[in-house]
Amino acid sequence: MLRKLLTSLPLVAALAVPAAAQDFPDRALRIVHGFGAGGNADTVSRIMAEEMSRTLGQPMVVESRPGAGGTVASGYVSKEAPDGYTMQLMVGGHAVAAALYKELPYESVEGFTFISTLGQFPFMVAARAGEYASMEALVEAAKAAPGSIKIGHSGVGSTQHLTGELLALRTGAEFLHIPYKGGAAASTALMGGEVDVVIDTGTVIRPQADAGVYDILAITSGERWPDAPDVPTVAETVSPGFDVVSWTGIGMPAGVPDEIAGTIRVAVHDALAVPAVSEKIASLGAKPSPSSGEEMTALIEGQVAVWKDVIESAGIEKR
Amino acid sequence: MANTENHADQNMASRAASGGVLLLAGLVMLFFAWGYPTGTLNQMGAGFIPQAIAILISGLAVAIIVIDLKAPEPERAGPVHWRGLIFISAAVIIFAVLVDVAGLVPSMFLAVAVSMFADHQARPVPVLIYTLLATFFGWLLFLVGLELPIPAFWR
Amino acid sequence: MLDQFLLGLSVVLQPDVLIYAFFGVFIGQLIGVLPGVGAITAISLLLPVTFYLDATTSMILLAGIYYGSQYGGSIASILLNLPGTPSSVVTCLEGYPLAQSNRAGLALFVAAFSSFLGGMVGVSILVLAAIPMTVIALKFGAPEYAMLVILGLLAASMIGTGSQIRSFAMVALGIALGLVGADATTGYYRFVAMPELADGISLVSLAMGLFGVSEVIRNASQRAAVDAPALSIRMRDVFPTRAQARSLVFPIMRGSSIGSFFGALPGTGAAIASFMAYAVERRFSGTPAKFGKGHLPGLAAPESANNAASQTGFIPTLTLGVPGDAVMALIIGALILNGIIPGPRLMVDQPELFWGVIASFFVGNIILLMINIPLIKLWVLLLRIPYQKLYPVIVVMICVGVYSHRTSVTDVILTLVFGILGYVMKNYRFEPAPVLLGFVLGPLLEDNFRRTMLLYGGDFTIFLTRPISAVLVTCSGVLIVIGIWSSLNARRIAARS
Repeated sequence: MLRKLLTSLPLVAALAVPAAAQDFPDRALRIVHGFGAGGNADTVSRIMAEEMSRTLGQPMVVESRPGAGGTVASGYVSKEAPDGYTMQLMVGGHAVAAALYKELPYESVEGFTFISTLGQFPFMVAARAGEYASMEALVEAAKAAPGSIKIGHSGVGSTQHLTGELLALRTGAEFLHIPYKGGAAASTALMGGEVDVVIDTGTVIRPQADAGVYDILAITSGERWPDAPDVPTVAETVSPGFDVVSWTGIGMPAGVPDEIAGTIRVAVHDALAVPAVSEKIASLGAKPSPSSGEEMTALIEGQVAVWKDVIESAGIEKR
Repeated sequence: MANTENHADQNMASRAASGGVLLLAGLVMLFFAWGYPTGTLNQMGAGFIPQAIAILISGLAVAIIVIDLKAPEPERAGPVHWRGLIFISAAVIIFAVLVDVAGLVPSMFLAVAVSMFADHQARPVPVLIYTLLATFFGWLLFLVGLELPIPAFWR
Repeated sequence: MLDQFLLGLSVVLQPDVLIYAFFGVFIGQLIGVLPGVGAITAISLLLPVTFYLDATTSMILLAGIYYGSQYGGSIASILLNLPGTPSSVVTCLEGYPLAQSNRAGLALFVAAFSSFLGGMVGVSILVLAAIPMTVIALKFGAPEYAMLVILGLLAASMIGTGSQIRSFAMVALGIALGLVGADATTGYYRFVAMPELADGISLVSLAMGLFGVSEVIRNASQRAAVDAPALSIRMRDVFPTRAQARSLVFPIMRGSSIGSFFGALPGTGAAIASFMAYAVERRFSGTPAKFGKGHLPGLAAPESANNAASQTGFIPTLTLGVPGDAVMALIIGALILNGIIPGPRLMVDQPELFWGVIASFFVGNIILLMINIPLIKLWVLLLRIPYQKLYPVIVVMICVGVYSHRTSVTDVILTLVFGILGYVMKNYRFEPAPVLLGFVLGPLLEDNFRRTMLLYGGDFTIFLTRPISAVLVTCSGVLIVIGIWSSLNARRIAARS
């Protein structure tokens, strides 16, 4: 009621008319995610819910079940009925968790019916403006004085942290990895001079770079990123073949009938085709990337292998 | 003679009870934290602070026991409100068990109904009427007004 | 500065925008009253609404919910010992005794008015000193945070009406509870009995349990003792006397200053600010014995502090684009979805948004005061309902609030566990407030202390060689000396008599 009340006030743009009713879905659907209200996952869930509820003609509720890097939510969803009414907004952390945890209450790949990825986003390697001329200069400085360059990251076992570890492994440079609670805190530490480098998403790095506070030294995707074509990749500067891209996507419990999974997939792809939605996804630093279930499965399997390797080589304690 | 001694012992035991429970908590914590890695000063492990805090709690607990035993007049613990303790606990547990499986409305209904019996003057009919009203307004507030993402009934 | 602020006012005073400012603070106020349903839940539920609004209006709406909830949080604390928001836990300490002694109206008025003044001080600092505050905030690295927390723990060791040592023990217990979960520095699992505990115990569960549930357990079965006395709700009794008002001037000024400072530091926030303000009030009061029994300065200082903090909390958000806490992250998210990237350039690129939002705080605080004063009568009427009719609803509201916070059944059960713990503790003269203080400050201390050691290679002298840290260490030292001196003094006086 609150929402209806506020959207019925002035200043509100006209709302589209809901689509006609159909066999599936005939009641409310849920998007569960494993992070706190207000995180990126929560925001993406709400953007998708808002649009998909229109195309599916049923209300869609967003449920936040945070805990243990999203694994509480994954465990919950994998045990729900595979009737198509429960889906999970997953993030790159789903693949990290498969590598990081000693045991999980679910099968990371077999336990789910993957629908589609929503967006893919690279990480950016940033330093205070003028500190390092280039990515090469950073790695050289790190090699000249091993352990003297501090990389702030958004938490032990986060994709950001593992990306930093992977960079060290591949280049042979030694960094001091400093954990913070979230990307914002790491970014503040970089501004205040407590750390020298932060590797994080565009949402954290870009505003500061646009204001001239940070230099973006490199981007972690294998190819240059359409949004920032002038920024070199890690691969082309210091570590050939380096390719880290995180993602958001939709998964359901294993065993959802193909027909129903197809309906949801179409709804997801339709939503991503709406300019207002893809713009919002893009504004969060991601490239809208509708995919098939197979593509999403392959992406996750590939990342699990990479992170297993990093965690073992860097000696990160499993949980 | 033996009787008064026994009485004094009981008195001693009850005086030391609060500090004793705290001491137990500190020692249990220390037991678990003992296995955690302590690391070095610049690479401090996860166990350093828990062990320090467990020792601190145990130490303070011993101090509290000593103070309580030396106190001139024993401070009496208040009476235990068994009725409130039992029915309120039951209500919360019922809510927790039911909300995920049965939805918000049934769990609110039962939680209100059970908690009302914490009052010893509760009678079935007023409880029923009151509970129905409370559940209705709860539904109105949480599901209609705030649109909390909790199903009203079992789905 | 003034013409920019006027530009902001011209944005807010458009009728359309004003409606959203009103609804924001009004909804926030109601949300704040509900135990457990916090600003985060409300804002994330309303996030889709902002898809249809422009950036400035969205931000005014969401921000209004946030600081409005700080106002609302104190109402349930005063009337029912139910901290609606974690930052209003301290409000329970003096507010609830006031309500129990038939002075609920006065308590609500003082809380609302100190909140208003605190909010206004916060906004003024936001207008006049946002940039200098940002510069100071950036100077706070790990060593400074660690020493600030130690200073806070020392200053606050006076919280609670019981003996000093019992209060220390409870702070330690709170720190211990704060250790549960994955270690922030290494990811190691500590005291994680089940996966739901991996992210730690929720502050909402702890606060609702220790304060709300324990109080219900105590009072539900006691009929005569808690039945509402003949309540006076004459407006005359709501206003403080001249002498009372005068005694509140300095506490409100101190509270607002403390709140403004802590609010501007990313990662601290309103809850810590209100604890600190209370501790300082108590530490420097001429009559510390009056605290915990309904002492007005002890209510006014933290109330002004948490509202000042919730305004200056926007400083890092607006000047750096860095959210200081989860609510701020959500508000920034709403801005991003509107195509505006908040960052250091926001003030220059979007002056109407920047100043419009700040002016909306100014207007919003006035609206809140205007809503609150007439509502006091209504709230006091709530106490006319016999407790026997009220407590079942309280129980269910706590359950729903806690559950909705993380959709977690474990959290609901934990709330009960802490409720029973709080009940037993009180029976044995242990106060719950220091537990919460330890719980809030402990992780901040451990995190920053260990980060300092990691950053500076285990070198303790870093705490003395960095200027701000050195000042904080000195302050702590002075506090310890004062503490020892005053306790020796007290002993000497006791020995003489």
